[in-house]
Amino acid sequence: MTDTTSSARMTAGTRLYLYVSLSLIAILVLMPLVTTALGGFKSLGDLRVNPFGLPSEWLWSNYLDILFGDRYWRQMLNSLFIAIMTVTLTVIVSAMAAFTFAHVKFFGSNQLLNYFLIGLMFPAATAILPLFIRIRDLGLLDSYWGVILPQVAFGLGMSILLFRNYFRNLPEELFQAAFVDGCGYIRFFWHISMPLSRPIVSTVSIITFVHSWNSYILPLIMLNTEEKYPWPLGIMVYRGEFGTDWQLVLAFITLTILPTVIVFFVAQKHIIAGLTAGAVKS
Amino acid sequence: MASVELRDIRKSYGALEVIHGVSLAIVEGEFIALVGPSGCGKSTLLRMIAGLEEISDGEVLIGGRVVNPLTPRERNIAMVFQSYALYPHMTVAENMGFNLKLSGLPRPQIDKRVGEAARMLALTELLDRKPNQLSGGQRQRVAMGRAIVRDPAVFLFDEPLSNLDAKLRVQMRTEIKALHQKVATTSIYVTHDQIEAMTLADRIVVLNGGRIEQVGTPLELYRTPANLFVAGFIGSPAMNVLEGTVDAADGEPAVRLGDGSAIRIAPERKVRLGQAVRIGLRPEHFVASGAGNAISGPTLLVEPTGAQTHVLFEFAGEQITAVVDGDHPARHGSLFQAAMERNQVYVFDRATGAAL
Repeated sequence: MTDTTSSARMTAGTRLYLYVSLSLIAILVLMPLVTTALGGFKSLGDLRVNPFGLPSEWLWSNYLDILFGDRYWRQMLNSLFIAIMTVTLTVIVSAMAAFTFAHVKFFGSNQLLNYFLIGLMFPAATAILPLFIRIRDLGLLDSYWGVILPQVAFGLGMSILLFRNYFRNLPEELFQAAFVDGCGYIRFFWHISMPLSRPIVSTVSIITFVHSWNSYILPLIMLNTEEKYPWPLGIMVYRGEFGTDWQLVLAFITLTILPTVIVFFVAQKHIIAGLTAGAVKS
Repeated sequence: MASVELRDIRKSYGALEVIHGVSLAIVEGEFIALVGPSGCGKSTLLRMIAGLEEISDGEVLIGGRVVNPLTPRERNIAMVFQSYALYPHMTVAENMGFNLKLSGLPRPQIDKRVGEAARMLALTELLDRKPNQLSGGQRQRVAMGRAIVRDPAVFLFDEPLSNLDAKLRVQMRTEIKALHQKVATTSIYVTHDQIEAMTLADRIVVLNGGRIEQVGTPLELYRTPANLFVAGFIGSPAMNVLEGTVDAADGEPAVRLGDGSAIRIAPERKVRLGQAVRIGLRPEHFVASGAGNAISGPTLLVEPTGAQTHVLFEFAGEQITAVVDGDHPARHGSLFQAAMERNQVYVFDRATGAAL
């Protein structure tokens, strides 16, 4: 009896501890988002004297002006084009490379894989100057491809790693059965591996998409024409010679965050499934 | 339908040789079972015939043609895997017709052949289902359907029933046998289950450590095992083995056991006086009473199985299993008395294990 009570008290205590800790973490994560969203409803003066509280007057016009202006939508289409092309190329190239690393044994395959994985250690920002020179030499400055190609290149390390692990976990007998049925490597890749790899394709797509969507430095360096700016560069427009309209920056940021959050909630099942694939024996 | 011939097949992984020169001839339409303990090389041998494993040395001939350099598809074989290896994203019909689709066969012909195979295996109702909507037995039938739909020269089965429960295994065994009688395609069947091998195969190949121990019909292997390994492997429960020395009892050849008791053996056994041997006594050859060697000892365990009872008793310092009639009044602790005819006593050389 005593044991049961003590165990119940322990459980309640542990639960309380968990709720408090998780609530604190949730507040830490949500506070900047909520502050940003609320800041978008304020005037610049209100924002300066009252950065964290509710707006003294709700200025819906901050949001509406952005939403009804053509810049917001044009930049969204730019972001979409860059992100979709980055995702498509990353998935195709990394899936094919990962399939080779997973199934084909050839001289130096491990070294080559390690070479790709080294890419994980270098964020694009560290190589921005040589990258700029290379993109300039290729004549791709101020073009979408000047952003897309480096994004694909820097995303390959992680994508190949994820795809390779997934492909290696596909049952060996499936490969043998397909081989007996008359598949070669290419047919097995298209007819068997890829259709069975939806979770990992989703994961890689989402990770790459979000990365491209949030990319700031690369488009900032590679793009000069405002018509080609993606969303993250949109905030630059509100930076004037004598000051910045921070309330508009915050409203703009809030509106650009929303689609990513929605996509995450819609696709979170696939993201988690892909990231944990192969972690336990199915 | 084609003959299969293995000529001095060897397989090495680096310096380690795992298949040591296996030669075997399988005639057209024959059902051959490869049996042996885990790691004996039976699956490796099958995979080499399939073309899924490289052959280090020797030749594989299918239909009289050396197939070493050919891909599995070019060898015109079909294989049924232990885990079924069905494509999870395809329906039953797509799984069965995948090979034909890759061959470029027109859709109506694919449908016709898949339909025929499905009728043969009672899968017609399941053609639109995905593998995860099927039971284990149904999946196994689809795997067989996928094999027969292409009308191969040789069927290869790699422990196809190992994942099924005992009841379904017996049912599927019957279906495989019936299927072979219907299509009469040359079949090579790998199993570690000697009952499966005995019931299905025209001939059994017993493998041990990458070598063939014996090839023969099920009854040949059971009645005249070439050595102690085959004798111990074929038959269930396993043969009882006792050590002794060749002696004479009442002027007849016998084997003197460790406790001094003598077991008379058939005069035609090629033994010499004083030779160190092992004798083999099949559990089912014990009779409650009768002529021959009288064998008795305290009963240690009684396992009724219905029609028969397995009795574990002690004799000559060893634990011996006997299979007797289900009505036998054996009881734990009581004296178990039985007899065995001398020509039922197997004799093996102790050093080489060869049958004498």
